[in-house]
Amino acid sequence: MGPNPKMRKEFFDSTRSSPFPDEVLERVLSLLKSHKDRSAVSLVCKDWYNAESWSRAHVFIGNCYSVSPEIVARRFPRVKSVTLKGKPRFSDFNLVPENWGADVHPWLVVFAAKYPFLEELRLKRMAVSDESLEFLAINFPNFKVLSLLSCDGFSTDGLAAIATHCKNLTQLDIQENGIDDKSGSWLSCFPENFTSLEVLNFANLNTDVNFDALERLVSRCKSLKVLKASKSISLEHLQRLLVCAPQLIELGTGSLMPELTACQYAQLENAFNQLKNLSTLSGLWEASAPYLPLLYPACTNLTFLNLSYAFLQSHELESLLCQCPHLRRLWVLDTVGDKGLEAVGSNCPLLEELRVFPADPFDEEVIHGVTEAGLLAVSYGCRRLHYVLYFCRQMTNAAVATIVQNCPDFTHFRLCIMNPGQPDYLTNKPMDEAFGAVVRTCTKLQRLSVSGLLTDLTFEYIGQYAKNLETLSVAFAGSSDRGMQCMLEGCPKLRKLEIRDCPFGNAALLSGLEKYESMRSLWMSACNVTMNGCRLLAREMPRLNVEVMKDDGSDDSQADKVYVYRSVVGPRRDAPPCVLTLSEVDEASRCDGSPTNQNPSRYELPSWPHAPCRTGLRWAGFSSLRNLFVVNAWEHCVS
Amino acid sequence: MELQLGLRSLPTYNFIENFDLNNDGFEPKDQMLGSKPWISCEDGNNMDSKRSSEVAFGKNTRYASRELPLLLWSGQPNDEDDWNGEKKISCSINKNGEEENRVEGWPPINSWRKKVLHHDQDQARHVMNSSRMTAAGNYENGDGSNSKYVKVKMEGVAITRKIDLRLYNSYQTLTKSLTSMFAKCQNLGNDAARYSLTYQDKDGDWLVAGDVPWQSFMESVQRLKIVRNAG
Repeated sequence: MGPNPKMRKEFFDSTRSSPFPDEVLERVLSLLKSHKDRSAVSLVCKDWYNAESWSRAHVFIGNCYSVSPEIVARRFPRVKSVTLKGKPRFSDFNLVPENWGADVHPWLVVFAAKYPFLEELRLKRMAVSDESLEFLAINFPNFKVLSLLSCDGFSTDGLAAIATHCKNLTQLDIQENGIDDKSGSWLSCFPENFTSLEVLNFANLNTDVNFDALERLVSRCKSLKVLKASKSISLEHLQRLLVCAPQLIELGTGSLMPELTACQYAQLENAFNQLKNLSTLSGLWEASAPYLPLLYPACTNLTFLNLSYAFLQSHELESLLCQCPHLRRLWVLDTVGDKGLEAVGSNCPLLEELRVFPADPFDEEVIHGVTEAGLLAVSYGCRRLHYVLYFCRQMTNAAVATIVQNCPDFTHFRLCIMNPGQPDYLTNKPMDEAFGAVVRTCTKLQRLSVSGLLTDLTFEYIGQYAKNLETLSVAFAGSSDRGMQCMLEGCPKLRKLEIRDCPFGNAALLSGLEKYESMRSLWMSACNVTMNGCRLLAREMPRLNVEVMKDDGSDDSQADKVYVYRSVVGPRRDAPPCVLTLSEVDEASRCDGSPTNQNPSRYELPSWPHAPCRTGLRWAGFSSLRNLFVVNAWEHCVS
Repeated sequence: MELQLGLRSLPTYNFIENFDLNNDGFEPKDQMLGSKPWISCEDGNNMDSKRSSEVAFGKNTRYASRELPLLLWSGQPNDEDDWNGEKKISCSINKNGEEENRVEGWPPINSWRKKVLHHDQDQARHVMNSSRMTAAGNYENGDGSNSKYVKVKMEGVAITRKIDLRLYNSYQTLTKSLTSMFAKCQNLGNDAARYSLTYQDKDGDWLVAGDVPWQSFMESVQRLKIVRNAG
């Protein structure tokens, strides 16, 4: 069945519109889920751009300040699901002031007008207030999915509003937030006739919830698949919940503090026995050895085991791992030691992801934890490993080289040698060769975090070999500007670069002029960048927002914390006093009377279709409100 | 009675007051680390002794003041006029003071996890202590996740360690482990026979380890010290 030659000719005739009706095109495109695919599709031609815009149901915005909610709504009229990320990642480590911004409220206001049928909202590192949660609950009658990860600014009152008003809620996922945990009464706000919940994750919270209300809720929500309880839920409570919900696929237990009678123990054993579909197990707060065997019957089909809050010893881990032949993801505390990791290597041949967190990260005197031996043992046994996050107190170049030789498929390699600037402890040499081996061997590497004593050589290697690298985190490393230059000149796919406490200065910062527009963001703190360097950057690159935060008492000329990101909407207007948005400062400080670039046409609009601009990336701004072809800029802003 | 070591013990929380990185003079204690392990650098650039000292004490560096000028070695100075070969690291102190002596935001653990771990550890210790006191016949029989951390100091070594005694079941395993840990970390390459293990018991007395049964030792030991044998 060959193609109709006439149709084919018409199809390739670029002055004609698409040979099939828009509805068909939209229908086809609506099957595309990946936003990267959709970005590509939207660049084909105007018709495809339009069709894609109309069929996009989920929009992902990697940096809330790269674009405005109005622009989003204009471009994508039929969105049902939004993912929005706000603060720079280093806010997780208290490096960003609390009032920095990323307030979700302005977004909600626009969405209430433009997307009244919004169903899903997933926020990461956004500032969310109780008022916003209440606004959300009241203004979106179809609202179904709320996920808050690493957000702050709200309390359990906000959750109460969600529970009270969202009649169609299917997912409530509250993780790792800075939440003001006033009381557990929010849970009792779910109406008695509410049955739609499929995911409930309140592991973040500590205050007691009304257990009877929870039990009733779990009983009547027959579709509940994910239940992650908080520490306030005792073993006895857990048993009652499991009896109501044997269909669970993901379970986060409450506290495993020992307090059961023999009879209760047997009952709980039974309950775990019923959980035949469990693929994820987490929680396990205060896990103690005698109660771990309770979990065994539920482990047969486990693919993800999160023990990162359980202070387990190596033999306890081993016993548990023997029960989990299908494990693919494992998170543990370093209390299990190298011996525990040997057990991982022996028992988890299918393991793909390992995260080892430090139990005592701030106690420098403690010498337990894991060493290079642990990760080596894992690499010998788990050849499919492609994601590692490893906190350790010692490492060697040779070990890392062997590890990546064993597991060349790493996509995420995050190694944290906890003592800043520590060399290979056997040879006393820098850890350059370790990361050189990583980038040379692991051609699929997307994310890398480096640590230990590192010279510019590490960054030469990274620039030269890390062709697929998208996210790079650097701390206490490097010898000179050259290090950062290597990163910026190499790494063609780099999107996020975060640097702290490195000797990189203005020359390094400015060597990335061409690069930053193709990246989501750059973070540099406690480096050698000055205000002048930042001003220069802001002046040269008007489509970048350059923000500086200064530490108390620091020199006027030092730019202590610098955050640079591309944006189609210019400098943000909600910056608190501690954040200097440099484009404005720069303009305001011009005293020679030259016209400043403040009108909307500061962003040049190439006509459609247009040639690639200097970075090889097709970038478009918009020159007037009429012409909204922010296509290419958009794609790269929000990705 | 406080056992006096030959060296001044490291004032862990007032470290910086005794130690001005801007001066060339260093406390003699840093000579005790043997070969300064972190000076050598492959590409031939010089790390001056200030850097090595800062790195060497990285583990124990506590920032007692708000803003601490730290010298970080840099291969080439910036062109900027405000670069004069020094770099300031401002380590702003956590507002509630609980981490006032640490590098801000390092290691990179997110704040929520930090809070939980800190709280859980206290809980675990509390449980362990209270269960020891009740000694009732319940599930908690003292092994498993209970731990008993004691400080271990070795004569001639500036840095104190902490170990979990519950990982061992005899003097032999303990001393073997200590030997390998200290020898490895300090590159001292010493023959273990030249050292003795002493401990401080509940009454504050320092005794030689090995005289009492292991169990009694476990119950009364508060801290350990490895001392050089006389002669």
